[in-house]
Amino acid sequence: MAAPSEESTLVAPAGYIAISIQFSEERPTHHCLYAKEHKVREKVEQSRPLNRTLFVINIPPYCTEKCLSQIFASCGTVVSVELQDKPGPSKKCNKEVRSKYFDHNMPKGFKVGYIVFKKDVGPKELKHLKLQKPYVMSENLQTVKTGIHKWIEDYEESLTDTVDLQNEIDNFMKEYDKKLAEEDEKAKLEEGIPDEDGWVKVTRKGRRPGLARTEAVNLRVMEREKKKRAQKELLNFYAWQHHDSKREHLAELRKKFEEDKQKIALMRAQRKFRPY
Amino acid sequence: MKRRRSQTLAQGKTDVEDEVDSEELEEQDDPDPSGKTRTPSAAPAADDIIRPVKLSKSELYKPPTNEELNRLKETEYLFHSNLLRMQIEELLVEVKLKEKRRKHIDAFLHEINSVLSQIPETPERDLVDQSWLRKSVKIPFLQVPYDVKGKFHFLPPSSIKVVGSYLLGTSIKPEINVDVALTMPREILQEKDNLNQRYLRKRALYLAHAAGNLAKNQLFGSVKFTYLNSNHLKPILLLRPGGKDEKLVTVRLHVCPPPGVFKPSRLSPNKNNVRTAWYTEQSSDREGVSEPPTPHYNNTILSDLALEHHLQHLSSCATDFPGMKDGIAILKVWLRQRQLDKGYGCFNGFMVSMLVAYLLSKNKINKVMSGYQILRNTLHFLATTDLSANGITMSKVTDQALPSLADFQQAFDVVFVDPLGLVNLCADVTAAKYRQIQFEAQESLKILDDTTTDGFHLLLMVPKPFIRTFDHVFHLTHLVQLQDACKKMKLLNELMDRGGDYVSTVLPFLLSVLARGLDQRISLLSHTLPQRPEWDIGQAPAKHKDVGLLSVGFLLAPGFCNSVLEKGPAADATEAADFRTFWGVKSELRRFQDGSICEAVVWPGETLHEKRKIPELIIKHLLKLHVGVSESSVSYTGNLTDCVLMKDKNAGTGEEQMVSIVQSYDDLSRKLWNLDDLPLTVTSVQGTHPSLRYTEVFPPVPVKPDWNFYKDEKSKNCLVPSLDKPCPAYIPPMKVICHMEGSGKWPQNKDAIKRVKAAFQIRLAELLKSQHNLLCKPSATYTDVYKDGFVFRVQVAYHRELQYMKETVTPEGMLKSQESEESLQLEKETLHLPYMTSTLHGLQQQHPAFGATSRLAKRWISAQLLGDSFSEECMDLLVAYLFVHPAPFTAPSSPQVGFLRFLYLVATFDWKNSPLVVNLNGELKGADVTEIQNDFVSSRTRLPVMFIATPKDGKDSVWTKNRPSAQILQRLILLSAESLRILEKQLVEPLGNHDLKTVFRPPLDFYDVLIHLNPKQIPRHREAIDQPAKSFVRGFLTTKAEMKNLYFPVVDYDPVQLYLKELKEAYEDFALFFYDSYGGEVIGVLWKPSSFEKQPFKATNVQGRLMDMKSDRSLTVPNVEAMLEDFQFLGEGLVQKVETNTERWNI
Repeated sequence: MAAPSEESTLVAPAGYIAISIQFSEERPTHHCLYAKEHKVREKVEQSRPLNRTLFVINIPPYCTEKCLSQIFASCGTVVSVELQDKPGPSKKCNKEVRSKYFDHNMPKGFKVGYIVFKKDVGPKELKHLKLQKPYVMSENLQTVKTGIHKWIEDYEESLTDTVDLQNEIDNFMKEYDKKLAEEDEKAKLEEGIPDEDGWVKVTRKGRRPGLARTEAVNLRVMEREKKKRAQKELLNFYAWQHHDSKREHLAELRKKFEEDKQKIALMRAQRKFRPY
Repeated sequence: MKRRRSQTLAQGKTDVEDEVDSEELEEQDDPDPSGKTRTPSAAPAADDIIRPVKLSKSELYKPPTNEELNRLKETEYLFHSNLLRMQIEELLVEVKLKEKRRKHIDAFLHEINSVLSQIPETPERDLVDQSWLRKSVKIPFLQVPYDVKGKFHFLPPSSIKVVGSYLLGTSIKPEINVDVALTMPREILQEKDNLNQRYLRKRALYLAHAAGNLAKNQLFGSVKFTYLNSNHLKPILLLRPGGKDEKLVTVRLHVCPPPGVFKPSRLSPNKNNVRTAWYTEQSSDREGVSEPPTPHYNNTILSDLALEHHLQHLSSCATDFPGMKDGIAILKVWLRQRQLDKGYGCFNGFMVSMLVAYLLSKNKINKVMSGYQILRNTLHFLATTDLSANGITMSKVTDQALPSLADFQQAFDVVFVDPLGLVNLCADVTAAKYRQIQFEAQESLKILDDTTTDGFHLLLMVPKPFIRTFDHVFHLTHLVQLQDACKKMKLLNELMDRGGDYVSTVLPFLLSVLARGLDQRISLLSHTLPQRPEWDIGQAPAKHKDVGLLSVGFLLAPGFCNSVLEKGPAADATEAADFRTFWGVKSELRRFQDGSICEAVVWPGETLHEKRKIPELIIKHLLKLHVGVSESSVSYTGNLTDCVLMKDKNAGTGEEQMVSIVQSYDDLSRKLWNLDDLPLTVTSVQGTHPSLRYTEVFPPVPVKPDWNFYKDEKSKNCLVPSLDKPCPAYIPPMKVICHMEGSGKWPQNKDAIKRVKAAFQIRLAELLKSQHNLLCKPSATYTDVYKDGFVFRVQVAYHRELQYMKETVTPEGMLKSQESEESLQLEKETLHLPYMTSTLHGLQQQHPAFGATSRLAKRWISAQLLGDSFSEECMDLLVAYLFVHPAPFTAPSSPQVGFLRFLYLVATFDWKNSPLVVNLNGELKGADVTEIQNDFVSSRTRLPVMFIATPKDGKDSVWTKNRPSAQILQRLILLSAESLRILEKQLVEPLGNHDLKTVFRPPLDFYDVLIHLNPKQIPRHREAIDQPAKSFVRGFLTTKAEMKNLYFPVVDYDPVQLYLKELKEAYEDFALFFYDSYGGEVIGVLWKPSSFEKQPFKATNVQGRLMDMKSDRSLTVPNVEAMLEDFQFLGEGLVQKVETNTERWNI
């Protein structure tokens, strides 16, 4: 396994530039980050302004946000780094608050990243990176923690601070109760008042509660209807009904027979009938 | 990058049974003799999967033909079901002789006939003068004592007749035997030849001379001697055709006396025909003393005399009885699968034929019956009649000259007299063997009556080898010792009767000693049949001691087998002396709680591991005391696999720990129930950890952490592993689900429910601390409780959370329930797992061997590095299947035999086409099972490769949903078949110096990359199969040490598992990782062939890949060197070295 030569690692797909990173001097191999300017056709997210955002893929598992901001510091001041499992819209915007106790979706394995710079970055700045030697992580950074170090640290972090957790829960529930109260209020106001087409909204809470609109309830109603209809029908009343049931029985037997035949044929093919 | 591997994981041999010998291939071209049409429409789909049948309407509803109606009716009357009928028909096609072969055989027989009549005569000599015999032949008879009176000369046989199954058409493959009877001319025999083995020796000489002449002939491929049914008094000659027909047929030459040469009355079971004086070679100083009867000897001669008559009787029964042939063929298959049809004292095909004839004469079978009905009726007769207590006779004449049934009963264990009223067909069958036959028949009938199982398969297709049938088996290795036993037990008369065969002489007595000693501990005792091999005609016959192994096996009675006390009669009772002599020095006087003083034997039994050894101790003691067999020659194979479950050599196998865990858990649940000041009450507490169903391989032991070993996190009262110390021993948290009562106060939103649950977790911790002074560590989703040295992980659950989690609103505003990953996980944890844990806990109470069997199975699968590919619950269910549906065996009562059957189950179950239905608690009824099967067939392709259905989970197979993959399952099947083969071989051959742990050591050359780990950081290092002589101190004090509970110990911290998790997250696309989670030192890595193909560049699919510089187009290849470095780097401190096995692949 010869170490790949310098040029080979720097081959990049169209539109991307390759940045090779190395863990330490002694280690001959390196991973290759591929970076390009962040461009989207649809609406631009606020956290990722065009021209100022760099899109990086193939980030190895031990590379943290901190590492990346150091690597790209040479192109300009880095404002934020966001890591994700797959390229796509930012997840941070979707939820107002990310709880460290209840959301555990940290990106794992190889990641993609969005790096936002303070000023516009053009191809010129990126060329800096391209010409550089493999970036050596352990030299330029405080040690990246892996292995036993990392796991012990993780364990330490997993120990929960009860007071903090309790506070977070209290806050959340306060918000939640408030939201519910508001909704109730709104529903109470709307109750019994027809909208512009004259429809009145019936809820489970009003004075005359309606049926809940759930799938299960729908099914139950249908079932009941079916039963009612079945009760009205007479069996074995007409001669054809009797014939039919006999015919069905025979058909059932035939079907079973065919199935058995198929099973036997299969077993025969697999030589399942040789006892020893 | 190029792969040079010839065989990848996926390309395992798909069908082990595919090996077909050339002879079988040849047969396939034969036109089907039964004339059945093999319709192409019923041919299986190309991928061997059963598909639901689709018939057109016109086909379904066409008017029935007469023929069709007849067949349907016949099936209803004569067979159980259509399927069974077809199965039996197929089986008969497989085992019966084809017409084409029959012609070959007939031609061969004609040639033999002509050759036999050309054997030259010899002049008359003394019987002891055997110098005239060719040098190339040794007489096939052990002539002890050598001297005997009489003269012998050879004359060509007066008649040559084919007898036995070949003529009846009941011989079955694979061993086609044709029996040919040569009748000695009357001139050879003299008066009194019935005495002192004279006839038998003449018979042997006759055969030897014939053999010497036949051996020269080019016609035969091999000419050999063997004993008929391994009875050493009765040699027979085996002739096989030469050339490629070698395996076609074996012709067995029997020699029999001319009819009427001996007076039958002289050979009655109560007559003597071997004189003591002759046998002991002492002048008769015992004049006047009556000679002992020699029933077995007499019977041997009589059965020769009756040979022809028996054939006539059978063939007269078989006329216009088409079902008889089928019935006997099926019964022979049944016997063969149970290994009852060969060896000394076997219940062979001839006896079964006679039994069918007997039943016919008693009108229990009639001539219109089908083969299936004959099987059923015969089994029913065997199951309900005790031939050892009430013998039967086929003789219809009531002649005073004939011996009475009582005479037979006195002389033999099992009595079944032939139509002549002279021969006992079951003379050599021991009572124990007969009990086994009876037992098998009873079990088989039960299987046939059960409509939910495939009776045909279980009865006729599943082999029941001795070692897999019985719970405990032991082998007697040095059989010479039994010779002394004859003297010790005063068995001279019996020895004389059996012509010096001390093994079969001692056997019944040995068995009765064992039966008395083991008494209530066992439900069945049986032995293998001593088998004599074939030998070349130039060799002398083997001595009795070379008969090979004598194995004895027994089924344990679960309730009694492990009791440490054998209570005898009261000290002053008359039986006390008897008890004392039986048990020897082990017997002692004991005073019992009720004040009585009794004789008793007490066995050591601190742990269950020791208790399991009690039957072994009893047997070794009794054999030594009564039979004089030394302990070293009893090779006992009951508990050999226990060693892999022991963490420590001196400690037991862990059952005791589990009991104390369950006690501690019970106490905790009581405390949870009774907590004051909880806003809502607890409705149920359910444990879900494997320890709580007794199936944890290495149950946690109580621990007391040594504080100096750790860093302490003072603010949170917790210990944290320290960097410079070895990794602390692993403490698994045992999950306990704690359901809270429903109330209107619960929010109706899944996020809010999570918060409320978290608040409960905190509250629980506070209350347990303040009310019970337990050390607790709450978190958002669980509360860890440190109690009695164990750590329980209490998890609050709310029964309607699942419903809220599934709720989604459709665009029309309707609420719909939809499953998500999260909801399935919750369902598993709070519904399925508690149910399964409690059910399996119940199963353990019924079958004490369940837990240990499951642990062995898990240990094995993990040792083979496949532990991660199967969920623990899946393994538990597989093992539960062995106990819930043991047929055709009985539920195992020893872990070892359970493990063997587990391997057999995994290796042979048809995962492709059938669901494994584990009917826990018998909740599923016949219709439910059919429904599960139908659902399975109709949606096979969408279901997991391994489908396990339980009463609560018939359609999803919750525990095998995501794993294993098809390739892994295939590998497991191969591994289990191979392991079973090796292990059984080791257990059956006690003389070889075997290491039982062989099957627990995985082949490592199979993997592409090996990651070696540093033992210092492996917390479970002591659990390895080959236990390290030394390991590290892992931060715990001895159990007796005094300490205060101030800091919470380190829980659920296993660096190896964390490392594996990271590896899998990052490199799942490129490789599979295999590890033995019980102390393995190596992680095996296997590259996935598909990921090594060059792929076009895609932003979403570039993980760990590199642009390929050789190609112009933008293709990516995996960055293997960097990955290998990453393996090292991610496991900093844990990984010792990464070894690449580049012979299997290169770059």
